[in-house]
Amino acid sequence: MRFNRYNLAIEKDDTNRFLPWLIAFMALLAALSVAGLLMLKQISSVFEYNSQDSMTVQIPAAENPKFDEQNTIKVLMALKKAEGVINTTRVSNAEIKKLLQPWLGDAAGSEVLPLPQIIDVKIDRESNLTAEKLTNLLIKIVPGIKVDDHSIWLNNLVDTLQSAEFIALGVVLLITLATIGTVVFTTRTGMGIHRQTIEVLHFVGAQDEFIARQFAARAFIVGLQGGFGGILLAIPILYAFEYILKNFDSGLLPKADLNISIWIGVSFVIPVVAIIAMMTARSTVIKTLKKMV
Amino acid sequence: MTEVVRFENVGLRYGLGPEVLQDITFGLEAGSFHFLVGPSGAGKSSLLRLMYLAHRQTRGLISLFGQDTIELPREKLTNIRRRIGVMFQDFRLLPHLSAFDNVALPLRVAGVRESEIKRHVEELLVWVALENHMDVRPPTMSGGQQQRVAIARAVISRPKILYADEPTGNVDSRIAARLMHLFEELNKLGTTVVIATHNESIVNEFGRPVLKIDSGRLETISKVQLKEKTSKSKLNITTDLGDQSEVS
Repeated sequence: MRFNRYNLAIEKDDTNRFLPWLIAFMALLAALSVAGLLMLKQISSVFEYNSQDSMTVQIPAAENPKFDEQNTIKVLMALKKAEGVINTTRVSNAEIKKLLQPWLGDAAGSEVLPLPQIIDVKIDRESNLTAEKLTNLLIKIVPGIKVDDHSIWLNNLVDTLQSAEFIALGVVLLITLATIGTVVFTTRTGMGIHRQTIEVLHFVGAQDEFIARQFAARAFIVGLQGGFGGILLAIPILYAFEYILKNFDSGLLPKADLNISIWIGVSFVIPVVAIIAMMTARSTVIKTLKKMV
Repeated sequence: MTEVVRFENVGLRYGLGPEVLQDITFGLEAGSFHFLVGPSGAGKSSLLRLMYLAHRQTRGLISLFGQDTIELPREKLTNIRRRIGVMFQDFRLLPHLSAFDNVALPLRVAGVRESEIKRHVEELLVWVALENHMDVRPPTMSGGQQQRVAIARAVISRPKILYADEPTGNVDSRIAARLMHLFEELNKLGTTVVIATHNESIVNEFGRPVLKIDSGRLETISKVQLKEKTSKSKLNITTDLGDQSEVS
């Protein structure tokens, strides 16, 4: 003989009709916030990486293009000997043209356009090497040479991005609180609906935990349903967001895409929502039952 | 004999209202059989609710199985409730569960193995002539069938005390007599039985000690009946008037 899993017919409550939708909406908001948070982290980590130990040397274009190569080689040799320089990477002309494209358009690809030579320099921040010292060293080789230390403005940008991360985290926390509040309310309503059944369970000797388990199990299932629903709704929105980001080529922000870590983070919303719903329902039932005899 | 129930100067009020039970003092010995009578609104149901721990008294002492219920934490009350069977006037069957699952409920909450539950429940449902209604849910059963399910649920866990609130209220006289004999059989097996009823003919016919309650006070007991017909019953009752009767 089959045993009905629930001694309380919680699954037939009116509260259970709209609760999955409410949780789905919360899960949708949580998924978007988590994705935004992880994308911001991705971007700020790129900036952090760049700002940590790199400078850019810009060699102005010579009047005669054949001297560009000679100047670049001389600068590279000097950089290798400089104390505090770990390594150097010469940026190719193709990459420089690509970087200039947002500002110059098709003219960036012109062969007659004088292009500066750019060298990325990885430095040891523990050393005393500064942009000023490097400029003083290199200006003797190529007058007009410029050394940019990105750390100052990149650090400001990273701070701004980190503030945005905190805001996203705050939104996730607010959504969590709203989810908890919703589950508390619906659980209390459900307990009111099933008050007589709960009394009967008490009279036949049921422990509070026995009753709480049934509400918790139902809340877990509703949490999973709502979580899945929310993520399903979030997927097209995130793809649309990614599409817009990819086509919004500012030349300033690094590309942020929906990589596997973001999808893993978003998919975690489902079990987290289900567990929060389950634990909230359980503690609500236990607390409410304590007020009964 | 040991007392399984003891009330000492118990009072009960709901909220800020007047006391619905006042100075209730009595004791029930293990294996005794009592009727609880009184007019509507006299406090029978309230007294029963205190006896099966649905309410806490406002004052006084209630001791069940030798334990002061006020002193006991909630978790311990469960152990006492498992030794008490209650048959409610309105049955309080769970409508979404079959007759089998309703009867099995006390065993399931106690964590009894399914194989044992199946054996005991089927046996009991045969005993109350519901073997063909095991999978039927209460809303599609007649009043009498629901009542038998309620009785089966009240006795499935072999309670030490059985409370029945108007058990003969919804059945004809033939089934009522059968039910009363069922309660007597349980009593012979050692279960302490308390039956709240309006049915005077049953009270007179069975001649068991009577707890009479009126206007919230335990007024009197039918001493005549006690002396004449309950020679084997054990009763030790002190009324609120201080009148003590002891029969053994």
